[in-house]
Amino acid sequence: MNRREILRRSAAAGLLATPAAGLLAGCATSGGGDEGDGGAYKGTKSEQNPLGVAEDAPLEVVIFNGGFGEDYAKAHEAMYKERYPKAEIKHSATAEISKTLQPRFVDGSPPDVVNNSGAGQIDFNGLVSQNALADLGELLAAPSLDTPGKTVKDTLLPGTVEVGSYDGRFLVLNYTYTVYGIWHSTKLFADRGWEDAKTWDDHIALCRRIKAAGIAPWTYAGVHPRYMSWPLISTAIKLGGPSVALAIDNLEPNAWKSDAMKTAADAWHQIVKDKFILAGSPGLDHKQSQTAWCQGKAAFISCGSWLESEQKDVTPPGFNMTVAPTPSLGSGDKLPYEAIRGTAGEPFMVPAKAKNVAGGLEYFRTMLSRKGAQDFTKKVASLPVVAGATEGVDLPYGLSTVVKALDASGSNGFNWVYNNYYRKLERNLVDAACGEFFSGRIGPAEFLDQCQKGADSIAGDSSVKKYKRSA
Amino acid sequence: MRQGRLPLILTFLLPPLALYGIFVLSPYLQAFQISTTDWMGYSAQADPVGMANFRTLLNDGYVWNALKNNAILLAVVPVVTIGLGLFFASMLTMGGRRGRAGVTGVRGTSVYRLVYFFPQVLSVVIIALLWKEIYSPTSGLLNGALRAVGLATPAWLGDPRFAFWCVLAVMVWSNVGFYVVLFGAAMQAIPRDIYEAVLLDGASRTTMLRKITIPLLWDTIQVAWIYLAIAALDGFILVQLMTNGGPNFSSDVIGLRMYDTSFGSENKFGYASAIGVAMFFLTLSVAVLALRTARRDRIEYS
Amino acid sequence: MTTVDTGAPAAEATRAATPADRPPRRELGVANVFSHGFLMLWAAMTVLPLAWMVLSSLKSNGEIIAEPWGLPEALRFDNWARAWSTAHIGRFFFNSLVVVSGSLSLTMLLGATAAYVFARYEFRGRQVVYYLFVGGMMFPVFLALVPLFFVVRSVGLLGTWPGLILVYTAYSLPFTVFFLTAFFRTLPTSVAEAALIDGCGHFRLFFRVMLPMARPGLISVGIFNFLSHWNQFLLPQVLIPGDGQDRMLAQGLSSLAVSQGYAGDYAQLFAGLTIAVLPVLVVYVAFQRQVQSGLTAGQLK
Repeated sequence: MNRREILRRSAAAGLLATPAAGLLAGCATSGGGDEGDGGAYKGTKSEQNPLGVAEDAPLEVVIFNGGFGEDYAKAHEAMYKERYPKAEIKHSATAEISKTLQPRFVDGSPPDVVNNSGAGQIDFNGLVSQNALADLGELLAAPSLDTPGKTVKDTLLPGTVEVGSYDGRFLVLNYTYTVYGIWHSTKLFADRGWEDAKTWDDHIALCRRIKAAGIAPWTYAGVHPRYMSWPLISTAIKLGGPSVALAIDNLEPNAWKSDAMKTAADAWHQIVKDKFILAGSPGLDHKQSQTAWCQGKAAFISCGSWLESEQKDVTPPGFNMTVAPTPSLGSGDKLPYEAIRGTAGEPFMVPAKAKNVAGGLEYFRTMLSRKGAQDFTKKVASLPVVAGATEGVDLPYGLSTVVKALDASGSNGFNWVYNNYYRKLERNLVDAACGEFFSGRIGPAEFLDQCQKGADSIAGDSSVKKYKRSA
Repeated sequence: MRQGRLPLILTFLLPPLALYGIFVLSPYLQAFQISTTDWMGYSAQADPVGMANFRTLLNDGYVWNALKNNAILLAVVPVVTIGLGLFFASMLTMGGRRGRAGVTGVRGTSVYRLVYFFPQVLSVVIIALLWKEIYSPTSGLLNGALRAVGLATPAWLGDPRFAFWCVLAVMVWSNVGFYVVLFGAAMQAIPRDIYEAVLLDGASRTTMLRKITIPLLWDTIQVAWIYLAIAALDGFILVQLMTNGGPNFSSDVIGLRMYDTSFGSENKFGYASAIGVAMFFLTLSVAVLALRTARRDRIEYS
Repeated sequence: MTTVDTGAPAAEATRAATPADRPPRRELGVANVFSHGFLMLWAAMTVLPLAWMVLSSLKSNGEIIAEPWGLPEALRFDNWARAWSTAHIGRFFFNSLVVVSGSLSLTMLLGATAAYVFARYEFRGRQVVYYLFVGGMMFPVFLALVPLFFVVRSVGLLGTWPGLILVYTAYSLPFTVFFLTAFFRTLPTSVAEAALIDGCGHFRLFFRVMLPMARPGLISVGIFNFLSHWNQFLLPQVLIPGDGQDRMLAQGLSSLAVSQGYAGDYAQLFAGLTIAVLPVLVVYVAFQRQVQSGLTAGQLK
């Protein structure tokens, strides 16, 4: 008897076994999560307890252990515990939300609060289309914990509810107000006598000077090249107005190939053509590229306002990171230079099958209290979506520039949400196209082609639920 | 004499069979069933869709792209690994200086054997994480060396021209040592006098390898080929941890497609199972095909 | 089985007969240098990454980023301490040890008993059952992952070590049974017959006579199974979900690598890897011969 014989015979046995497959009606799908008892813990609603929290019900919170760390959440949990001393709080933090929690969703025993964020977040499209998320509408109508006379909704910054709503239902609480822009070190620029440019032509000229000085003008996270799609799309929106983003979000035909997108892609191609990007960037992940930038190896980097917190440990003293909007292409721009992309980000959700749904909502109410929000700002140097959260808080340098940029942007601020609707489109498809484009392997036309193909493939996939927004 | 026979068969056979049936066979059978549904994994709702998943599969460019990479792995990894394995093994068993000692290995054979086998005792996770750091464009061992001698320093895993081949190289790296030892053991089983006789006839070392060693080792080589082929059809852990299939899907493999479809950027468990079923038949056919084509008359020398 | 015992006496004889006066050919010398170079190159390619890993685990993060080939200014064993306690590598190491000892014992017991029956007893349907069983070697584990999750959940063992132990065992049985069946068949039947005639029961025969005789085979397949259980990644990833302290070493390392991406603590990652690698490597070096023959013998059968 040798191995060849064994393999051959067992191959035959394997083939024999397959027709039997159909007979075995799947136990798998019949069990899938229908035993979850959503909201098993309920208390009586009262004025003091508008959400009907059972005061002794345990609460499980899972935090994304990324740029913000987990300490801020522990503080929120302590505040919750203060109000409900009998409640046992189970806290955990992970960098891999999806891998960690998906089995528990399938199992029908998800935690009560999930900070569904990071590279390993669970696809919202799937969660929403399968009704896996609890409606947070009740939370909006509940009175604020420490702002008398106001509901929770009244205390939120504009846009928060819209970004977290799917088909009119508020399902996702995006806790931080995130500003996306281009970052540089005030110190480096002051030392070298550089001044940040407001127009694209000046920006390119500045890049030339920076390169001549022996520093790479740009770096980016080559492993997550979608970070570079943010300034590119921003440039297009500033040129063509918010309708550019609307078309992309609604998966309109050829939305990615609009004139504004073409012009923006052509403009950004310049930094690739002129080799303004730090060599080796395509192989760096976000942390490595940001660290190279903090070390002064590159002048600009595209990131959201979590950057300062994420880089806390490696930022040299006096580095003074500053955020700026994308440069204007010219006088034809529909939005002024100051316009910047700002949106509620850092999604939190309460699974529909959570045992303590009311507790989850109450936890959100704690997070959204003035006290909870201010504590968050202090701990992680970021803006929560609660109005006035920065009052009386000593802001770190980077965050103060974020606040200034937001003020200057005012009602010209813009945003897009296709990344929330169709995670795969940004994370996989546009991401891949950006990788090709910013490493110089494809030109602007091919870049937009590839993005459009990705959008078309999502549009044509009947298993993906589609969302539309009107403004 | 016959009493005690049946109780023994039952007590010895039933527990392992039960375990195997519950945890191995039944999941495989269920996977076939799931592959004909549109199950999304967050609810109990799963509607039968017949063969729709398999039709989608046929037109899924990403799946074909991943399959193409697996095909390359299948073509390259076994050949290179077995080639290197045979070369090193023959050096170690009979590469020694000829003369008084006859056919022997080179000096330090045992040290080489010891060292070559290292990767085999490391877990794939460790190998993947370690090599990811080695390939790192700025702080990696490889570019550190290239910089030192003044050569260009590519982005390796960040460059779609190289990423896939970098992973492939690691696959070969982690396997060669095992086959050096395996082939070495088989070569030592070949009677020395066969070699010595041929050597006396003035045959060169390459002729010796081609005419004697390989034919006599054919069975072992064939087994090695099948094992490496099955490994080449997988490659999931290496790819997921090193590149996650990127950049631009250049290093994607079918196992990662399946994982990404179910646990990654999407949650289409039905479709993912369909990919898995396709993978199953692929593995099966490759094994069968390998057995068919690699068939040769065996040479017995005992 | 075509492998024969090495013709040691024959080699001895020919060695003496080899003409000692034939000078080595010149080009062979060149070839020797050439192939020696290759041998050393490959050895270096194997050792360097590991040496680099150990070295980096003793450097500061700044040193790692600045110069990959540089030597550490001071040996920072605090990286190891951090990986051991903060990243819980020590804990995960222990977990893996417990689970693998359980799964290994169970695999060996069930594998040996099943193989013994397949090798030594005739009964109806034996062939079919055997091939169905051994055919498990051919299936890609991947296909089973999702349903396996539900199977384990429905028997209430999801997220538990016993669940993991049973699953490890189930997936190792095909190879173990295949290997040990072949091994039991090579054992002489006369001893067993004599024992049975002496009134030794079937069970006694197995545990007192056959099992001890099969020791070399058990050791071989045991080493093979140990390594494959110890290095498992996919199964615990799916069956011990969550972020808890009860995970296996491979999971711990991979999540250390992910969080390293956010925290930028490369030294800790290298230290974690080193802690995971060193004990296995030490054991391997100590039992080199057994490990190598154990692993390769299975393939040669």
